[in-house]
Amino acid sequence: MAKVAYYPGCALKERSSHLDRSARDATAKLGFELDELEAWTCCGAVPPVSKERIMNLIAPSRILKDVRDSDRKMLVTICDFCYNTLKRTNYSIRTDEIIRKRVNDFLADNAPVRIYLEEDKTPWLEYEGEVKVLHLMEYLRDELGYAKITEKLKRSLKGLKIAPYYGCVMLRPQNEIQLDDPENPTIMEDFVRALEAEPVKYPYRNECCGSYLSVSNPDASTRLCHRILSSAIKNEADAIVVSCPLCFYNLDSRQKAVLDAYPDFKTVPVFYFTQLLSLALGNDVNRQGFEKHYIDVSPALEKIGNSGEGDKT
Amino acid sequence: MYSRIGLDSPDNPPIQLDRTKVRGEFGLRVDELSGQQLYACYQCGNCSSGCPLAQEMDILPSRIMRLAQLGQKEEIIQSKTIWICASCFQCTVRCPKGIDIQAVIDTLRQIALEEGVDHFGPDQIDCKHAAEVPQPGLVGVYRKLST
Repeated sequence: MAKVAYYPGCALKERSSHLDRSARDATAKLGFELDELEAWTCCGAVPPVSKERIMNLIAPSRILKDVRDSDRKMLVTICDFCYNTLKRTNYSIRTDEIIRKRVNDFLADNAPVRIYLEEDKTPWLEYEGEVKVLHLMEYLRDELGYAKITEKLKRSLKGLKIAPYYGCVMLRPQNEIQLDDPENPTIMEDFVRALEAEPVKYPYRNECCGSYLSVSNPDASTRLCHRILSSAIKNEADAIVVSCPLCFYNLDSRQKAVLDAYPDFKTVPVFYFTQLLSLALGNDVNRQGFEKHYIDVSPALEKIGNSGEGDKT
Repeated sequence: MYSRIGLDSPDNPPIQLDRTKVRGEFGLRVDELSGQQLYACYQCGNCSSGCPLAQEMDILPSRIMRLAQLGQKEEIIQSKTIWICASCFQCTVRCPKGIDIQAVIDTLRQIALEEGVDHFGPDQIDCKHAAEVPQPGLVGVYRKLST
């Protein structure tokens, strides 16, 4: 099976392990394996704002350099924060000579410290941003092709109305990310169509859910989530699909707080795109980690019909 | 409830402008750290109208830009706005002058943090909450709102 270098990131290892598992299940059905890097660290979650603060670039740069040094050209990640951080770091290194020089000087200086891992005999080669960082959804669209997914469907999601939620860091800043149009993206809608479900268009699909404000200012995040969720519901969505662990947390678990603040609010199930993909490719419902969801997903699953079936692999 | 949010006249006396502040050290520092040009902003207000969190802010993003141009460091670092920004880049994407406004706000946060006070420290988090929030939220909040 073809292997693709894969950076899971910290959330997927624990709190969002169902995202990781469903992604591995789904890609196995599509004929490639997410090959986790042998050694990786946290990417830092948010890129630094200033060229002065290059310390925040070191962790993602080291991850990218390790990928390059193991002769791989591509790195796939799923969490939107990791994607944003790795891709923007790569962009800075590729386009800014001063950053490239400073990061490489630091990495070279720091290399002997890491010898305890495994002594490295290869000559030191500056990292110049050679690795291509891809979101798993971007990989499915550009490298595999959505048509391949449709060919391999075991369980059609026909009849399900799904509202894609992009959030912020998957699309923006667009000059560095270049995944899709930041104001009128279609990558998730096309993905939903590839699963034969119906995408729902609603105005708040790329508005922020509050991101880390969920920790520092939860009430503000609750108001934002209410606006996003009720807009999707108003446009008759049966479910919302996301790719980011933090968007998932905000839109799913935060519905409890939304209900407390807005008693007439009606809940809506939230899925990771990989869960829908894994289901559509015939993986078992019980492998999707739905017990980790705050909102019961069964109303949406019932709409697909044969929700309990699928091969037990 | 939010009818005039961000547009009410300030409680404080009007700001005092003087030559040492306008185009002074503060503005130059913001330009240098953020890699942007504050004076490129011509106050169209697009950032404020697109900001999903504008209604939570005491000073709108476009006004923050103007205050920064005029070197009003105190007004800015005492505002709620810089701590409410969720770094979603909506303003950056929509700025017709191509200013990375999010980078400017981030820089202003950095400058405020240099004054020594963490806006959000480890003691302020609800433990039960901390056990549930995915790690990017925890790492993000401390990277953005504390030193």
